Parts: sequence; C-alpha cells; structure tokens
Amino acid sequence: MGSSAKKKKEKKKDFQKPKYKVGKTAPKASNFTDTSFKSRAIVMNQQSLSTAAPDVVQQFKHNLSLASSSKNDKQRRDALAYLTSQLSSQPPVNPVGTNNILSKVLPLISDRSTPARSQLLKLLQALPKDEAKHSTREAITFIRAGMTHLSADISNDSLGFLEWLLDVADDDLVGIPGGWFKTLTTFCVIMGWSPSSSAAGWTSAPRTGPQAKGAQVLARQMSLLSRFIQIGMKPVIPVIPSRQDYWDNLYRIPRDPHAFEYLNLFGGTRDEANEMHTTREARQEVLSRKFLDPISKGIERAKKEGGAVGRAATELDQVLTDRMRDYTASELITDQYLLDLW
Amino acid sequence: MVKRKVAALEKIDADFASLQYKIRRDPKSYKDDFMKQWEQYEAQREIFFMSPTTAAADSVESFHNMIDLIAHVADCYPEETRTFQDDLKAIVSQNHETLHPELRDKVVGSLVLLRRKEVIDSTALLTTLFPILVSSRSKSMRAMLFQKILNDLRNSNSKSTNHPLNRTIQAVLYNLITADRSSPRAIWAIKLTRELWKRQIWTDAKPVDIMKEACLADNEKVIVGAVRFFLGGDKEREELEDESSDEEIDLAKVRHQITINKKSRKQNQAYKKAVDKVKRQEKKKSKPHPLNFSALHLLHDPQDFAEELFTKHLQGTKNKLSLDTKLLILQLVTRLVGLHKLTIVPLYSWFIKYLTPKQQSVTSILASLAQGVHNLVPPDALEPLIQKIANEFVSEASASEVAAVGLNAIREVCSRQSLAMTETLLQDLVQYRKSKDKGVMMAAKGLLSLYREVGAEMLKRRDRGKEATMGLSSGGMKQRKFGEEEVGGIEGLDLLAKWKEEQRERKRAEKGDGSDVSDDEKDPEDGFNSDEWEVGSEDSSDSGEWINVEHSSDEEDEPAPKKRKGDGDDEDKESAQDAAAELERMTKLATTTILTPADLAKLQELRAASSVQKAMGSKFRKQQNQNPDGHVDDGLTAENIEAPIRLRKLTKEEKVALAKEGKPDREEHKSTTAIRKSKKEAAGKSTSNKEKQRKKNFLMTLGKAKSKQKRSLVETRKVLRGHVERSTRGGRRRNGT
Repeated sequence: MGSSAKKKKEKKKDFQKPKYKVGKTAPKASNFTDTSFKSRAIVMNQQSLSTAAPDVVQQFKHNLSLASSSKNDKQRRDALAYLTSQLSSQPPVNPVGTNNILSKVLPLISDRSTPARSQLLKLLQALPKDEAKHSTREAITFIRAGMTHLSADISNDSLGFLEWLLDVADDDLVGIPGGWFKTLTTFCVIMGWSPSSSAAGWTSAPRTGPQAKGAQVLARQMSLLSRFIQIGMKPVIPVIPSRQDYWDNLYRIPRDPHAFEYLNLFGGTRDEANEMHTTREARQEVLSRKFLDPISKGIERAKKEGGAVGRAATELDQVLTDRMRDYTASELITDQYLLDLW
Repeated sequence: MVKRKVAALEKIDADFASLQYKIRRDPKSYKDDFMKQWEQYEAQREIFFMSPTTAAADSVESFHNMIDLIAHVADCYPEETRTFQDDLKAIVSQNHETLHPELRDKVVGSLVLLRRKEVIDSTALLTTLFPILVSSRSKSMRAMLFQKILNDLRNSNSKSTNHPLNRTIQAVLYNLITADRSSPRAIWAIKLTRELWKRQIWTDAKPVDIMKEACLADNEKVIVGAVRFFLGGDKEREELEDESSDEEIDLAKVRHQITINKKSRKQNQAYKKAVDKVKRQEKKKSKPHPLNFSALHLLHDPQDFAEELFTKHLQGTKNKLSLDTKLLILQLVTRLVGLHKLTIVPLYSWFIKYLTPKQQSVTSILASLAQGVHNLVPPDALEPLIQKIANEFVSEASASEVAAVGLNAIREVCSRQSLAMTETLLQDLVQYRKSKDKGVMMAAKGLLSLYREVGAEMLKRRDRGKEATMGLSSGGMKQRKFGEEEVGGIEGLDLLAKWKEEQRERKRAEKGDGSDVSDDEKDPEDGFNSDEWEVGSEDSSDSGEWINVEHSSDEEDEPAPKKRKGDGDDEDKESAQDAAAELERMTKLATTTILTPADLAKLQELRAASSVQKAMGSKFRKQQNQNPDGHVDDGLTAENIEAPIRLRKLTKEEKVALAKEGKPDREEHKSTTAIRKSKKEAAGKSTSNKEKQRKKNFLMTLGKAKSKQKRSLVETRKVLRGHVERSTRGGRRRNGT
C-alpha cells in the first residue's frame, strides 16, 4: 500500500541533518543524558558525629539490647561474643547484674541461628555461678521450651544449656516448683518414652522420634537424664545443726534463691506438675509412681541397641537402681493416694 | 563455617503446617510428636505467664503458633488436651486488656475452633466471650467478639432451636441489664438481642422482656437502643426476610457454566451446593409461614410498661434526656396506648405544653398524640387538646403550613375518637375549606368528609352532603356513643362476593342455552337452596345455618358444580333489588357458609389487588380518612401529619433535582444522543448498523454507487422487490427464528 503523506514525512525526519548555526551550541542528540548535578552538601551515611566514644556501660547495654532484639543473626552472635568477652575479663565487667542479663538472653535458647546459640552457651558459662542460680526457675522454663522445640538443632543444643544449669544449680533445680516433675516429663517426651501413654492394647513399634535420629543424641540425652536423677536423689548427708544455725533461722532472712516458694504466696493452686518436691523421698515417690515404668521400658529397648546408646542405658539403669534401692513404695501416703480414696 | 546438611525429612518436619496435617491424618502414629509439642506449649505458656504484659515479640509469636497447632489437633487427643480449653479461657479472660492483639485474636479464634470441633459447648464459649465483650476497651476486639458470639448463636440454632442455650444467654443478657441500670454495658445486650431478633433466631417473649427492661434503664444510650428496637425491630426483620428470599440461584445457568468451563471437583461441588440450596428454598416456601408476633404484641403487661415508661422518662422534671430521646419514648408509649387501647389519663394533659407551633419537631409530637388516641379515651381528656391545637395552629394569622398541620392533627385525633370534637369548633374549622392554600383546603375537606361519616349531625345542614343527609333522615346513620364497638366483619369479604357474582355471570354467558339440561338436573336442589337462603337471611335461625353448613360441605368436594348451581340461583332473580339483596347476603357469606381454602386464597388475592389499587390512587379520596397504610399496627408518623410534599413550595434544589431526574449526566455541553453514544462506547459496546453505514469510508461506497447508476430497470425492480420482501420477513436474519 502507498503510505500517507504523514508517514512519509516521519520517515524523512530520520535522515535530516542537524543544522549548525554560527555562535550557537550544537543541538543535543535525541538520546542525550544530562549527567550534571548540583549539591549543596555532601551527606555521608553511617558516621557518628559524637566526639566522645560511648563509655563501657553504654556499650555493654547497647550490646545487650542488640543480642536480645536484633533481627540479624550475625549481629546477635557478635553482641553475645562482646558480652562474653566483657564478662570473662579480669575483673569482669557487668554493669547491669547477672539477673538482668539472664532475663534478656534466656529467650535466645530457642534462637534460630546455631552460632548464636553456641555463643550464648559460652556467655552463660562465663556468668558467676552463685549469682546465676537465682534465675533457675526462668532458665529451666526456657530450656524445657528449647528441648521440645520443633527444630532438632535447637532441641539438641538445649541439652548443653541443661548441662550448664545442672552445674550451676543442682539442688535448687530439682527443688523448685515443677523442676522435678516437668523436667522428667520433658525428658521422657523427647526420648519418645511417653509417660502417659496407656499400656493397654497393642504396643506401637518402638519409635525413637524424629529428634533422636543419631544414636549420639539419644546417648547424650540418657547420660544427662542419669545425671539429673543422680542430682535429684542424692543421698542426704545429715548436717549437725550448729548453734549459729538456730539463731539464723530465727532472726535472719534466708539467703536461698527460693526461700519462701513453698508458701506459694502469689501463684494459683498448684497441680501435680507444678508441685514442689523438696525432699529426696518425695522425688523418689514421684519417679517410681509416674516415670519408673516408661523409663525402665525405654532402657530395655535402648540396651538392645548396643553401642554408645547401650552404654548410656546401662549407666542410667545403674543410677536408677542405685538411687531407688532404699525406696519402699507403701511408705508414704501421698495426696494423690488420699484423693484416689475419695 | 561449613553449612550443615539438613535431611529432607527434617526440613519438612520443621514447620507447623505439615506437622498439623500429618497429625490430623494419623493421630495415633504421631502421638509422640504431639506430646512433644504439647510440652512445648506448656513451656511457652509458662514463659508467657512469667510476664504476660511485657512478653517479647518472639515469645508471643511462638506461643501464638503453639496455640494454633494445639487448637487444630485438639479433637484428636481429647484426653491429653483436657486442660487446653481452660488455659485458653483463663488467658483471654484474665489478660485480654494487656495481651498482644494478634495473640488475643488467636486465642479467641482457637476457642471458637474448639467449639466448632465440639470440644467445648456453646454455653462454655459464650459465657467466656460475653463478659469480655462487655468489659473490653478495644474496639476491634469488641467487633470481633460480637461477630463470633453472633455466629455461634446462629450456628447452634441453625438445625433446630437450641432452647437451653438460648435460655442461658437470655438470662445472662437479662441479668446484665437489670444488674446495673445506669451502666452503658447493657448496650451489648441490646445489640445482640436486636440482631438475633432480626434474624428470627429469637422470636419468643423473652427477648422482648429483655428489651422491656432495657427501656426502663437509666442510661440514655441503652434507652434509645431498646426503644428503637420496639419501634423498628419488626420492620427490620421483615426487610431481611424479603431480602433473603429475593436472592435466587439460576440452576440452568450454573449447569451451563459447567459445560463451558473445565470440569473440576470443585465445580461439581458448587453445583451440588446450588441444587441443595434451591431444594431447601423450595422446601421453605412450601412450609407454613412461622408465626412471628411483633415485639409489641409479645409484651407482657403493656399497661404497666407504658405507665412506667411515661412516669419515669417523660412525666418527671428530673430526667435529663434529650428531646430526641423523649420523642422516641413518646412514640413508643403512644404506640402502645393506641395498639393495646391502654388508659393513661395523665398522658393527655402532659401534651398540653408541647402543642405550640414553635415547639421543636411539633409534627412528631402531634403524630404521637394522634397515635395515642383510641376509642376508649375519655373525650373530656381530649377536648382541651383539640381546642389548644385549634387556637395555636389554625387561625387566619398563622402560616398556611402551620394551619394545615393543625387541621391534619385534629383530623387524625378525631378519626380515632370522634366524640372529642365540639360542634362550634368543628363548624369553625370546616370553613377553612374555602382557604386559598391548597394544603389547608385539603386538610379542612378531610376533616369535613370524616365528620360526614362519623358525626354528620354536628355539621351544619348544608355541609352534610347528600349521603349523610339521607342517612340521617332514614335513621341509618347514627353517631356512635362512647365505648360502643362496631360489629366486626372479614375484610374484603364483599370483594369476594362480588367476584363470585361476576364469575357466575361469565359462566352463564359462556354456556348460553346449553346449560338447560344441567339446570334441570340440579333443579330440586336449587329450589331447596334458595328457600333455605331466604329463611336464613330473614330470621337467621340456628337450624338454617346448620343446613347451610351441610350443604356447603357437599360442595367443597367439587368446586365446579357449585358455580353452576349459582347460575340457577341467578336466573331466578332478575330485578335489581333482588341483586342488591343477594349482595347483602353474600357479605354475610362467612356466617352462612364455610369458606374453602380456595375461597380464602382468592380472598387474599383480592385484598392484595385492592390494596394495590388504593396505592395507585384510584380510590385515594375515599381512603383519605382511614390510616393510609391500612394496618392498625403501623404507627403514625410526622409525615402523615405534615401536608403532602407536593403541596409544599419546592425549594430550588428540589426543583432542579426533579428536572434532572431521568436525564443523563452532563459535564460538558453536548447533545443527549452524543452523551449516550460516548457512554455506550465507554462501556465497550458495538455500534449499530446504521452507524457503521454512516461511518463507512467514502471510497468504499463509490463502486456500489456507480454500479447502481448502471442498473437496468429490471434489475432495479428486483432489488426493490427484494427489499420489500426482506422487510416483510423481518430482515436478512429473519426476526424471531
């Protein structure tokens, strides 16, 4: 088809030469880009303008808040590392107090980044033991949450934290409300020896659960459990009361971390799981009533596996028989027994 | 650092959605996993409760996830999750003020989920949620809770009415209102009740009782809510019902859609659902209409209620309610008085001070006054009111609108209690029919025609009109005395009689001579029949009626011979007087025969038709004196008192709006067709053939034009013939085929 006058004109335009004129700048090409810029000030990002560097206290607090609330994995880890270095220096720098640090960093037990968790363990180990033990109750709660976490990594790492806590607060841990019962439940659950499963009917195939894929993990869990039981049912060494103790008892404020916990002044009514089991007998009783059966079944199964798991199981078995030797079932009349009578 | 290899299974395990899916698929084998998550939940809960107010975002989120997971699988492990519901209840009822909003919503949602899975029952859910709804300070929370509560109540009442639950909730609401009369919390009880009333879930007397208590509250908001319920709740209910019955599914369309689109299970299910719905709707249609009494009728002891309302909110000087509220309450009180014919004597004297043209929204007050009058109100109480209205409103000096309003109000009052009028006043007022203002004139004429019917002797002789004069002279028309009741009848019965008459006429015309044989056959019966009728109409003895009943029950089996029988009846009577007597007799149809269901249906139809006719205005004049909407239960509004809108002078805006009605929008100055065309184009519609022809390129038409010139006469004839033929057939494409 013959094109219109308009189209012809358009075509012509492409081949027209620019006309130069004397005394005028050459016309710009159609694809010319203007690269000139104007600026009144040069702005530099990320530069502190303060003349004085922040003091140590400020920096410590800043890092603490970074560790607890930063969204960046690396930043968290670095902040934790900084805190660890400050705490392990001689003399240790700790402007906020152990308790405050713990309350900030304990939620990191379930942190999603592995390096941050391992750094956290180092930090915890750097804390003074006698101060850290005042936060046992919070710590064990977070550790239990970590142990049952959906992610296998987190739950494995939580064992390390539990180890630390056993080091820090052995007697306190098993004596606080829920410390004995709930921790044992958690152990049973993560190892797949569920305490509340009904024994009647068919038994399901032995499952170690998705977490204990590696035999190593199971072995570690068992050895930790045996340590926990050991601590929980330590033979009582009778202490000869001195004269000083008598007066202390009357006139001094007790220095234990949970001195008046047994009064339960602020909490609601406690169920069995949240009960305090302060004496060895009480703990023995709970263990034999609720957990002995599933644990011994689990031990039997684990022994058959042999290897590291078998060894750990044997060890656990030994501890269990050793500690439960002096226990007789009908000795105590428990609340539960009374309730059952009702 | 070397990245640890993650096994595929482990990866999958690490999210809650897949775990939840697996657990739900096979709860038994995933019990260990569940137990672990349960422990995790316990731990998270503990962490959360260590500091519920200052929980970190992370802990809130993980707790949120855990609650979600457990709630979804709770029905698989009822034994293990025994404590879950109590935990949730405790969390939300103790901490709802401080909880993170997302977590709070999740907890409420989980509770509702548990209810859906029937882990907990409705009572437990509602008794948890309702106190929170009442006490929460967060608006979004309240909105959500209200929705959830409402939904749950609807669901639990969907299959059959859940009486125990309804009773419980009603008791809760009642207690909420009566416990603290001055608190605004009761507003929630009102909202809930009103919503459920609207949806016809609660239709008995108990919700009405709740509202009644709310009317007597001390908080203004509560009062207004409850009063509005009585004034508008039933209308709302009817509207909703109409709406829901309107939406209908076109099954054919759905079926067609399936043939076009890709076949999928989802579509199949949608079709099944549609079929189900249509079936349900049909079933619903064939079901007998549920008896829904209006709230005003379900009131227990309306006399006490109205009196209390009046003395508490209106009569005293102490109450600080706004005028609007007072008007609403007044409407309710007078509506009750009019509807139930209650006697509250101080009510009428209370009106006196409000009856001045300067009073704010006086038309509404006047409407209330008229509404509160019935034939058992002592005329002495009304007389001063009418006098006052006449003095204040109706005078030469007052504006025409004011006078019209006054006259209308007086007419409305007098149409309910005609004895309240004095002779001199009436004769005065009637003279306004000569007024130059149309509104006043019409109002005065209305009053006049009212009194021609109810009290003609009070009018001057020349005002009475023909009918009233004749009635008075023959003694057929008498003013009713105080307390005298009219003899009742069935509305529209005369219409039915007339219709039957016409039907008979038609039948006879159709049959003509051929009906002789059948007439002969029926003859003895007919003779018996007509005799019986006459006897019955003369002395209306018991025996006559009995025989008639038997006779009509024979007829019921076959409606056709009944009409033929009528033919014979009719042929006997030929004079006009006889026909009139027949009509009279037929209006007594109900006392002499049993109306068959077909008759009743016809009656209903005729009534509807006549009411439509009335609305169309063909009999407007006749109906002016009665309540325009026709039903006694409907209240009187200010609009009825004000002059009709056409009589008023229109404002400029109204005139413009009237002129613009039905014309297209006009931003720029264009012809109407141009605007229409551009609209069509914008809607993506095609042009017409004419348009196409007109727009066709000139060069393309040249060839045809040239060849046209060269055509021979024969060819031209052929073409023209073809054109004519085509147009008779309806175009090339044949209309209608």
